[in-house]
Amino acid sequence: MVNLTIDGKQIQAEPGTTVLRAAQAAGIEIPTLCDHAHLTPFGGCRLCLVEVEGIRTLQPSCTLPVSEGMVVRTNTERIQSARRFVLTLIFSERNHFCPYCQVSGGDCELQNNALALGMTHWPLPPNWQPYAVDATHPYFVLDHNRCILCRRCVRACGELVGNFTLGFEERGTNSFLIADVGVPLGASSCISCGTCIQVCPTGALIERTSAYQGHLMEAERVHSVCLGCSLGCGIEAFVRDNRILRINGDWNSPVISGVICKQGRFVPMEESRERITTPMIRRDGMLKPTSWEEALFEVANHLKPLAGRNGNGIAALASTRLPAEALALFKHIFVDELKADMVTSIEEGRPTAAIGALAQELGKPFETTLDALWQADCVVVIGTDLVKEHEVAGFIVKRLVAERSSELILINTEEDGLADRASVVLKPSSSYLDAIQEMSLALKQGGVPYLQEAVAHLSKAQKPFFIYGKTLVSEGGVTALKALVLLAKQTGGFVLGLKGQANSLTALQYGLDKAFELKGQQAVYLALGDANPSQRLIQQLEKVSFLVVQASHVSKLTAMAHVVLPVEMWAEVEGHYVSMDGRLQKTTPVLKMSGQVRSSVDVLQALARMLGVSDTVDWRASLSERVSPIVIRET
Amino acid sequence: MAKPKIATDWMCGCAGCHMSLLDMDERIIQVAELADIRATPITDLKEPDESGVDVGVLEGGINNTANEEVAIRMRKRCKILVALGDCAVFGGVPAMRNFFKIEDALRRAYVETESTDSEGKIPDDPELCRQIRVRSVQEVVPVDIFVPGCPPDADTIFYVLAELAQGRKPELKGELLHWD
Repeated sequence: MVNLTIDGKQIQAEPGTTVLRAAQAAGIEIPTLCDHAHLTPFGGCRLCLVEVEGIRTLQPSCTLPVSEGMVVRTNTERIQSARRFVLTLIFSERNHFCPYCQVSGGDCELQNNALALGMTHWPLPPNWQPYAVDATHPYFVLDHNRCILCRRCVRACGELVGNFTLGFEERGTNSFLIADVGVPLGASSCISCGTCIQVCPTGALIERTSAYQGHLMEAERVHSVCLGCSLGCGIEAFVRDNRILRINGDWNSPVISGVICKQGRFVPMEESRERITTPMIRRDGMLKPTSWEEALFEVANHLKPLAGRNGNGIAALASTRLPAEALALFKHIFVDELKADMVTSIEEGRPTAAIGALAQELGKPFETTLDALWQADCVVVIGTDLVKEHEVAGFIVKRLVAERSSELILINTEEDGLADRASVVLKPSSSYLDAIQEMSLALKQGGVPYLQEAVAHLSKAQKPFFIYGKTLVSEGGVTALKALVLLAKQTGGFVLGLKGQANSLTALQYGLDKAFELKGQQAVYLALGDANPSQRLIQQLEKVSFLVVQASHVSKLTAMAHVVLPVEMWAEVEGHYVSMDGRLQKTTPVLKMSGQVRSSVDVLQALARMLGVSDTVDWRASLSERVSPIVIRET
Repeated sequence: MAKPKIATDWMCGCAGCHMSLLDMDERIIQVAELADIRATPITDLKEPDESGVDVGVLEGGINNTANEEVAIRMRKRCKILVALGDCAVFGGVPAMRNFFKIEDALRRAYVETESTDSEGKIPDDPELCRQIRVRSVQEVVPVDIFVPGCPPDADTIFYVLAELAQGRKPELKGELLHWD
């Protein structure tokens, strides 16, 4: 440990720690702008200047490592005056006009720092030369007039997301934030993860939906889990008047600190479907609002006589975006109590059934958590495009390629968005199974020229990691999956499947993984939640004589339904989800339900009571009734 | 000792800072007890005394030759010059027009606005002042006290005037200091 004194306080710090971090750890605040707790130090803004005894000039504490016996002062008049001068230069470099900037009044780190230093004005005038505003991006606007060249966005884009879209051209006062080689943001390689907006200290990067909706610092902050896919990234939602202003990546996210993708950050903000606010029953061909009591009575009345029938009884489908509590209750009511013969999820086990089957066959979990992926020196991605789905997993892969020079092998029958980062791109000519087996054989015996490079990387790798997607599972089935597990074993590597939606693994554990087929069932109960029904599902349900749709939003299915039950949407859910790598996480409701909307669990419980069947089930215990492909663990 | 004299004037602003000044309500009487309130745009006397005042307050930036004269006159006739509000301190909202050519701004204002009926006309009487680039007060004359805010709160203005009337230099910080 290194001993030093900061503002008269004796401090110990690890060698290599910066003076800034050592001070922060000791509760001493030093103002910063370009520094960000989750990015590498940059030393660009000079706001964190400190005095060090024996050093003639002021030093930027963010890049200055601690040394033995160092005596540091952080708040002398000389420092304050230097900081005011630094801010004066920053203000005069571009055009900062606080009265009409949406972050002014609390959300701007530049302004906050100036106010904290008691600055009443800018001693130097602004630049007055207008800088460009780039409004080509669908989700955010870049106003160069407010850019302070701190490069937080550039570092976030590269260091956190591994995308390297943002960069700087020119030097000094000509420095300019650019995307790729200077193309408009909307035409760049930006993948719209929005991490740059999250770290921007000024109003230079403005999110379209949250702009001018009120200060984020005054909004309520709710930490929850993204339900966009099965990764289960952490989110931080800013809420005002029961309305989401913005969704940020949670810096404590278990996947990548602070990072989410557009599915988590922007897509939920674009929700435009009409909300269902009251239960409805079809009367004389029209859906009419009714009471919960009447609606549930109608449902129970129709379902009860059909219980236990084969073929012409009840079919039930649930969304894999529902919490474990609701999925367990759903399965309990329809499988255990009503003995329905067609109960599954709307994903019909396509991305998971074979995974579950292999776990049964092997009798134990065979997958490894994402933690092992971070250690991988060779990543094989098979049967999925991580740029299109489970994007944050793709960010991890991009970072591995950039930070650790990990080799990336893609096996995909389609075009793959990660192709430009890959060491090897393989397009299976016949099937995934053949490709895997060929690779396995080539590893043993060599002799397959086009696999030579891939084999070389895999044989050299200490910790290979195989990520497989739903195409491998649905097209290759258990056989291909088994071959992949064997290949991983052969190379001493790990496997992990992406599964599908937020709770696909839970649905799999509850046995909601079979293909949906109607064989004359007279009633269908669809626990859709906020999911978007597929065209195929709509077609399949067109001729059902009694259709109950439990959903949050109006859709073609609710228009067809005989009874519509209004339930929560993702932001209102309080319940458990199992991520693709087995993390059991609980969501915190970001918004409160309004109108007659109820939670899925409430509705299913009320239905159970109306049916006269038991309304309780141990969802947690049910998770382990089957062998799971990966160990399910509490977090 | 005679009470210190205070005069105010406005230039390229929206009068909001003077509204905020009035928003101090009955405390204006306290200010009047401490100081001799002379010329202001909202009292009968319009120009600061030729013999001079102790404190001159200017709202708004300088966007034409008339404002320039107002600023220079106030600076000449006061001992302590206060720039009141974001327009006076930074240029404020009117300074947005600096990003365009003056001709374009005039055409937009007098010809192209949706409320202009039939044909508009850019005023060109030789007696009218000339439009120039919008500047903050300190770009034209030296300023002693800066009171930012759009507008500054009544509390801030009261504090500043009361301190100045009692011969002290106001130090804005905490709640009293904001730029929006």
